[in-house]
Amino acid sequence: MHRAVLPRYLHPFAWWGYALALVAASSLTTNPLLLGGIILAVSVVTLSSRGDSPWGSHFHLYLWLGLFMVVMRIAFRIVFGGGGGPTVLFTIPEIPLPSWVQGVRLFGPVSLESLLTGLYDGMQLAAIVICIGAANSLANPKKLLASLPGAFYELGTVIVVAVSALPQLGESLLRVLRARKLRRGPRTRTRRDRLRFVETIIIPVLSDALERSLALAASMDVRGFGRSERPPPRNRRWSVVTGIASIVLLAVWSFRFVAKTPEISPFGVPLLSTVLMLGGLGCAVVAIRLAGGTVRRTQYRPIRWRAAESGVLASGVLVAVLVALVAAGDSSAVLAPTVVPLEWPTLTPLLAVALVLAVVPAALAPTPERRKVAA
Amino acid sequence: MRADTTIEAAAPEIGVKLGARSWVVIVLSSALGFFALAWPLIIPAVGVAPQHATDAPFVFAAMLPLILLLVGAQLSEGGLDARSLAVLGVMSAMNAALRPVLGVGTAGIESVFFLLILGGRAFGPGFGYLLGFTSMFASALLTAGVGPWLPFQMMCAAWVGLAAGLLPKRVGGKTEIAMLCALGVLAAYAYGMMMNLWFWPFISGTDGGALGSLDYAPGAPLTENLVRFGWFTLITSTGGWDTGRAVTTALALALLGRPVLTVLRRASGMGRVVRTVAPASPSSPNPPEPVGRVGARDGSGGTPATMDA
Amino acid sequence: MIRFENVSFRYRHDTPLRLRDVSFTVEEGELCLVVGATGSGKSTLLGCINNLVPRFTGGTRSGRVIIDGVDTSHLLPRELARTVGYVGQDPMAGFVTDVVEDEVAYSMEQLGYPADEMRRRVEETLDLLGIADLRGRALRKLSGGQQQRVAIASVLATSPRVLVLDEPTSALDPVAAEEVLAIISRLVRDLGTTVVVAEHRMERVIEFADSVLVVGDDVHYGPPQTALLRSPVRPPLVELGVTLGWSPLPLTIRAARRHGSEQRRAWMELPPALGRPETAGPAALTGRAVVVTYGDVVAVAGVDLALHAGEVTALMGRNGSGKSSLLWAMHGAGRIDAGTVTLTDGSGIALVPQTPTDLLYLTTVEAECAAGDRASGRPVGTTLALLNRLVPGIDPASHPRDLSEGQKLAVVLAVELAGNPPVVLLDEPTRGLDYAAKNVLTEIVTTMAAEGRAVLIATHDVEMVAQTCSRVVVMAEGEVVSDGPTRDVLAGSALLAPQVAKVSNPIPVLTVQEYLDAC
Repeated sequence: MHRAVLPRYLHPFAWWGYALALVAASSLTTNPLLLGGIILAVSVVTLSSRGDSPWGSHFHLYLWLGLFMVVMRIAFRIVFGGGGGPTVLFTIPEIPLPSWVQGVRLFGPVSLESLLTGLYDGMQLAAIVICIGAANSLANPKKLLASLPGAFYELGTVIVVAVSALPQLGESLLRVLRARKLRRGPRTRTRRDRLRFVETIIIPVLSDALERSLALAASMDVRGFGRSERPPPRNRRWSVVTGIASIVLLAVWSFRFVAKTPEISPFGVPLLSTVLMLGGLGCAVVAIRLAGGTVRRTQYRPIRWRAAESGVLASGVLVAVLVALVAAGDSSAVLAPTVVPLEWPTLTPLLAVALVLAVVPAALAPTPERRKVAA
Repeated sequence: MRADTTIEAAAPEIGVKLGARSWVVIVLSSALGFFALAWPLIIPAVGVAPQHATDAPFVFAAMLPLILLLVGAQLSEGGLDARSLAVLGVMSAMNAALRPVLGVGTAGIESVFFLLILGGRAFGPGFGYLLGFTSMFASALLTAGVGPWLPFQMMCAAWVGLAAGLLPKRVGGKTEIAMLCALGVLAAYAYGMMMNLWFWPFISGTDGGALGSLDYAPGAPLTENLVRFGWFTLITSTGGWDTGRAVTTALALALLGRPVLTVLRRASGMGRVVRTVAPASPSSPNPPEPVGRVGARDGSGGTPATMDA
Repeated sequence: MIRFENVSFRYRHDTPLRLRDVSFTVEEGELCLVVGATGSGKSTLLGCINNLVPRFTGGTRSGRVIIDGVDTSHLLPRELARTVGYVGQDPMAGFVTDVVEDEVAYSMEQLGYPADEMRRRVEETLDLLGIADLRGRALRKLSGGQQQRVAIASVLATSPRVLVLDEPTSALDPVAAEEVLAIISRLVRDLGTTVVVAEHRMERVIEFADSVLVVGDDVHYGPPQTALLRSPVRPPLVELGVTLGWSPLPLTIRAARRHGSEQRRAWMELPPALGRPETAGPAALTGRAVVVTYGDVVAVAGVDLALHAGEVTALMGRNGSGKSSLLWAMHGAGRIDAGTVTLTDGSGIALVPQTPTDLLYLTTVEAECAAGDRASGRPVGTTLALLNRLVPGIDPASHPRDLSEGQKLAVVLAVELAGNPPVVLLDEPTRGLDYAAKNVLTEIVTTMAAEGRAVLIATHDVEMVAQTCSRVVVMAEGEVVSDGPTRDVLAGSALLAPQVAKVSNPIPVLTVQEYLDAC
């Protein structure tokens, strides 16, 4: 039987899960082919599924930002010492710096290897930025905030208020600017008077905004905001305790992680580190759960988690799993092509499959709904 | 019976109370956050394996959002009433609007500290801390600034707001403004340095292969990395971006600090003005509507005939 | 349904009581109109119904408030959300979300309604208020009337037993106000919701009201006819009825015409001598073929308008007809795409914008006035003295934003007048002003005209125009559709006729005073 796929928004968690899985995959590799493939896949998915929503229109900015990062890294190599490789492409005359500038080299020979290192690292960063940008463009931010656990409800509301207050601020500013033309400046204009001009704009706008925000607070209050019961004191106490425990555990873990403290690792799994990390994460989840309390709010027209959501999330996770498998396997070198000696980056069949999987959501996700807007 | 039905409500104030537990959470999370930023310098360089030096930025970028979520849950849950929430929202929007439309990731903030510092000063450390959070988040949402740098920006901005709230309360007048300006300059440079510190291992690779002269060198002694970072931050931002930010922030605080602070402080007592019509202020014995008197005046002697016409 | 028992309220121990021993009972399904001068405590009283006062505002309240038989004195406003719906003055300021549908659902989300019930109620409420076609629209792109209807919908969605409206039409133009008030009366009739509404356009609701609460030094409650006798502010129709001793007091034009039929017959035989406006002075400001366009939209389509010294001209027309654009173009601060504006005497034009507070940025009235002195190069104290003549009794040390709407207007006007401009333009000064404040404005405007200034007022307020202006210009679609003496333009119009003119029709009597003089 044929089932109609109606236009609708996909659950924001599905898009974020997909994007974060691709971020994880990107962080495992510096292979430019794989990274380029991920960027391409994410762009295809975003452009085909973002709809005409206002938050979707920012995606090109992330692409530019990615490009900027690649260029920055390469430029860095050229300006501050691009040597260090056998294949010198060209040499810019080095500018001698005074001796107290320890270790800094300005210009000089530029090697292919160093440029490639810049390119590879830059592409990795660009891929991460673009993946997050894709999630930002695909997921409906309002629904995302509404889907957050109860503990973040208030902070989420702050953001909702901020986003809807912004256009009002703009209108207020235009009004004040226009009104400003009516009060002539003093005949004798001192510098102080000219500086005052900014004050005459910002003070009315700010006062106006604050007065409005108090009216808003009253309106929220009478419409039941914050009515959900506060968690009982016992929950609150435990929430703080688990929260602190989580931070401490994660702190110890991260220190050990960075400092590379040696430890017993049966079956290749570092025992203490894993326990610390999992304990920290678990405590964090418990703390957030407890802080949410007994919330009795509901969501208007919630987006239900359906097959398309699972599919999108699964394709992202599978990509990450495949890349991780390659990283753990014998051919892990393919993920980090060496620069010295120079070698041509390649893809294994498994990685090619991963790239195909990364594009699948473009076909899976329904087109986003268009709100019927009366003329 | 009458005594039972008398309700006394405290005069409205805007602010976020920080209990002892909230402080513990803030301090611990800040310590961990600082470690997540400054690990390349803090960790005794000897022990770092090259493999982990590449992983570390990603691991921290993944861990910090979780920490911030924890702090956010603990703080707002303590008592964020509708009034503080609405003011927080509107001020975040203003901060987001003050930020240049194309705030590029790590280095886009020019004027964001201005209102952040004044907000923290007027409404206290808890409010300032949360304002830093929400301003950065709102502006990221509005200007395509959501990225791995966002949690670090949020945390650093929250520190600035917190610091503004913690400055000595007694100080007033010119000294107060001077103090805020000093904080503004300090915050501008410190913030720039923090963000550079986060960005440093990313932008200038950690690969042992072909090391640039400003790159983070895993395994090198602390002094060497400190020098490398010092030059990195001096060249990339302290000279230009950060100084620009420091100057604009200090200038804005010096010129607009006093009037804006007055407006903000007034808002704290303004909650009673639910609508636009204000009650009689206690300082003026006149009812707010002296209109009756004008009507009664009846033109006798009230006609302003001497208008230099 | 709503019972107040000896309710008193003050903000602080050292401030006077805002409410003193208020007791009354509003029955179920009543439409209760709350009247009183601005600042008399109307809002405080309304706030007491859902405990915004004192929970949100701070202060001390004694006495009991009983809603639907339950003592609600100790509940928080949010705990009353299901029982009392509250709509404020400016709908835009109270919106939490930015889309119509989400806003209607907001309250139900807070109260934890199940998703399917929420969906059903949203649809019903959208239809009930006739805003279903707006569901996906951005709130700030709606007209004022539509916004206020959304605001009402957003509190009605949870079917509260009581609906409290605090001056719901004060920021709206007459057409939008009519729209909103029609909705309110329909709610009372069809749903039996108990409605308490503070409204200064009393004449629009008074005929639907079952009872009136008069708020002043004391609070009186009673049926409209008797309660209005004690009211300090009354619509012209009631004023006429009270002065002439008509009984029962007429609340509709129809009833008043019955009372006035004899008088009209007398006038038909012997027409009363009605004043004609004095011949105006020379033209002070002349606009020729003024055109203002915004992109494709033509706001002002080639208007010729001359303002004369000593003449008060009203500029009327529905929202979007180009009044404001014309005003700003004539001033020179606004856009002007074609045409010329000539000022006969060179000392400037004053314009007071719609939101006077946009111009106020200092912390005291005194400082604002001093800034006005400096701006116009006058000796220190000129502006303050002028303000004292316009509206005496404003404390120079008070914060401009703490003043009433009428006082704010006066401060801005004083600052603008300090330079002694021969032409004064006012952009909708009557918004948010009650009868008393409008009387002040009338006084000010008359004084300015007597000094030989040309005054132009853009307004919707027919009664104020009838009292103050000698000439009316009506705009539509950017063009002037009628221009003439007030009596000719207003009395002959079906839409713009003031209440008294409707009673005396076909004799063109405009105001209560004229009616009495002609008797």
